[in-house]
Amino acid sequence: MKQQRMSRRAFLNAGGDAAKGSCIILTMPMILAACDQANDARMKNSDFQLLSEEEVLEYSAISARIIPSNDTPGATEAGVIYFIDTVFAHNREGEHQIFKEGLATLQSEGAAQFGVASFYLLNEEQQDQLLRQIESSEFFNTIRFLTVAGMFSSPEYGGNRDKVGFELLGFTDQHAWQPPFGFYDADFAEKGE
Amino acid sequence: MSEASNSVKYSTSEDVDFVIVGSGSAGGIIAKELSTAGYSVVVLEQGPHLKAADFTHDEWGVKYNFDLEWDWRKGHPQTRRRTENEEAVVGDSSLRYAHNVGGGSVHFSGNFWRLREIDFIEASVRGPIAGTNFVDWPITYAELEPYYTKVDWEIGLSGLQGPWDPPRSRDYPCAPMPVKSSGVLLERAAKKLGYTAYPAPVAILSEPHNDRPACIHCGLCNGYGCEVNAKSSTMVTMIPLALASGNCELRTGCTVSKINLDESGRANEVVYWEQDGTESAQRCKAVVLSANGAETPRLLLLSESARHPDGLANSSGMVGKNLMFNGYSQAIGLFDEPVHAYKSIPATRVVHDFWELDQSLGFYGGGGIDSRHPFGGNLISTALSGGMFGGANWGAEYKESLQHLFTHSCSFDGHTTSLPLSTNNVTLDPTVKDVWGRPAIRVTYNEHPDDLATMRFFLDRSLELMDAAGATQMEGFFDENSPWTQHLLGTCRMGNDPETSVVDRYNRSHDIPNLFMCDGSSMVSSSRGQPTITIMALAFRAADLIIQSARRGEI
Repeated sequence: MKQQRMSRRAFLNAGGDAAKGSCIILTMPMILAACDQANDARMKNSDFQLLSEEEVLEYSAISARIIPSNDTPGATEAGVIYFIDTVFAHNREGEHQIFKEGLATLQSEGAAQFGVASFYLLNEEQQDQLLRQIESSEFFNTIRFLTVAGMFSSPEYGGNRDKVGFELLGFTDQHAWQPPFGFYDADFAEKGE
Repeated sequence: MSEASNSVKYSTSEDVDFVIVGSGSAGGIIAKELSTAGYSVVVLEQGPHLKAADFTHDEWGVKYNFDLEWDWRKGHPQTRRRTENEEAVVGDSSLRYAHNVGGGSVHFSGNFWRLREIDFIEASVRGPIAGTNFVDWPITYAELEPYYTKVDWEIGLSGLQGPWDPPRSRDYPCAPMPVKSSGVLLERAAKKLGYTAYPAPVAILSEPHNDRPACIHCGLCNGYGCEVNAKSSTMVTMIPLALASGNCELRTGCTVSKINLDESGRANEVVYWEQDGTESAQRCKAVVLSANGAETPRLLLLSESARHPDGLANSSGMVGKNLMFNGYSQAIGLFDEPVHAYKSIPATRVVHDFWELDQSLGFYGGGGIDSRHPFGGNLISTALSGGMFGGANWGAEYKESLQHLFTHSCSFDGHTTSLPLSTNNVTLDPTVKDVWGRPAIRVTYNEHPDDLATMRFFLDRSLELMDAAGATQMEGFFDENSPWTQHLLGTCRMGNDPETSVVDRYNRSHDIPNLFMCDGSSMVSSSRGQPTITIMALAFRAADLIIQSARRGEI
């Protein structure tokens, strides 16, 4: 039997968030600190509320390695960077500061290993190599979380443009459904079980 | 309906018949029952009065910024530790609850499993369990049955009597909800293994009932408010009737700080802060605390006085003790064909073959298994789990793994018992304060070994079922140290003996004759993981008995 049994902690390490929703807090406390959420967060296309030009280039490049663009849109097309800007622009000065320090550490690693301090100027292979080295860091966990949240949250927060995130997951953004809902209940009804 | 507003306003200096603290699953029902019976009622609710139009599918707001919850982001920190030898630390709230009219009934999943006869007499049937406070309830299933039926009809349930369900005096008002693919997978697997799956009873309408519409199967019940009023919260079922009675004033944004007593030792005043911080006090003839299993004991502990140095209604020392989280385990599987479990209500089939585990296993426990979307139909939560079957969790491989995780996955979830222990409790934190300057809630909680063994047992059954259902990949877990719960149970337990319980069999304080506690805190045992229907039935029953006592002049 294809059976594995894992503790919740192991599960979280492997998977990230699990069914009870809030587990993310366990791995990324800094992101979920005081939050005054953004009803006014609808992003303009080109203006950033908080991030510097350098940060925009760097975070965009990292997000693009987390959810790359290939035959389907990735973090870049989804505008994840605008989501990241929205999140940090709303009462998260302290967290933003910590996040920037994480970036600085990554940049110094890039400079030491490849002689190039700007992450976005490295080639993809070098970028992935650097990111693999910091996979368990708070900085990486945070930008992974923000990339995913930006990709799949409501477009009102700046990311998930043209609902490309919904499309990637196969989610149809429809507010009401009728049976059959999926393959198996259609089959169940057809067979009269 | 849910937009009804106050039609009466009482002066704080005039005695109202009842002040009810909390407007949730229990408070909403008691407010409706007492006010429609002709008593003057003031309901004090910490949160706002939201309505269907206020609710959204905004996962970032609801799940990651806790828009609908009352916790440290709103100035209400909690501390947590496993044992009393540890120092409790501030973290994310272990006891999670709503801050809105209707309380947790606004964002529950609506799984409404009645207790069975055995639940009320289990300790005497199987014998005591050393080191625990596992005892019988002071009431029986037969006594509670009429009130379960009131819940079915007045709150509004959909379901079908199952093969081993306890007897009911009346059918469900609404037919079962249509089965989803996740329900079919569970039902077929159960058949293969010789178990029985049947339609999950839910407090969500499959057809119009009591002037409310049927569910539109939008998919987001768990954690979200219903945008069409098809979910049977007390916000849409009870509060409008209470307000329409002309005898109930609902005061929102009001946080209660203390219950005051008169010289004879009877509760006569409830002190609270209004939204803007103004302190007020409502005079009253009697008080009902339905503030939930975290806030009710805290309020009693905060209401200490020279006469009640250990807190109000606490001569037994049991206020805050016997906290029970309910156990939880989950097996997640991937399937070849689209499951689309993100549509419609969370669970459409349940397996109740394991309600009582065999004593020969050597541990106490029981529960049920239902089938759901593994991530509650949530997109961000799903995507964060990309790579959970062993692949990378970022990059092209990760992205590829997402393509079926949301649409082709299904979970079998175990909902299980917790034993009542004195060492699992709510107390007042000695140092951490909330926004009002009150001691924060301190949670001490460590699962009993039997609770863990039960979770493991249910995980094993869920994995076997998942395999029988034909999952191509699967994974599972249970909480070895539950980070949090929304089931706030046991902290003012009901009982006949004033030495070992806080309220009597009528939900009346053993110590203070005109003080009642009714909410999850009244629970003597933990239920099989779905306590709300029992909390609601207790509320209907308590209200009935309060009215009878009041009519006899006995309050």
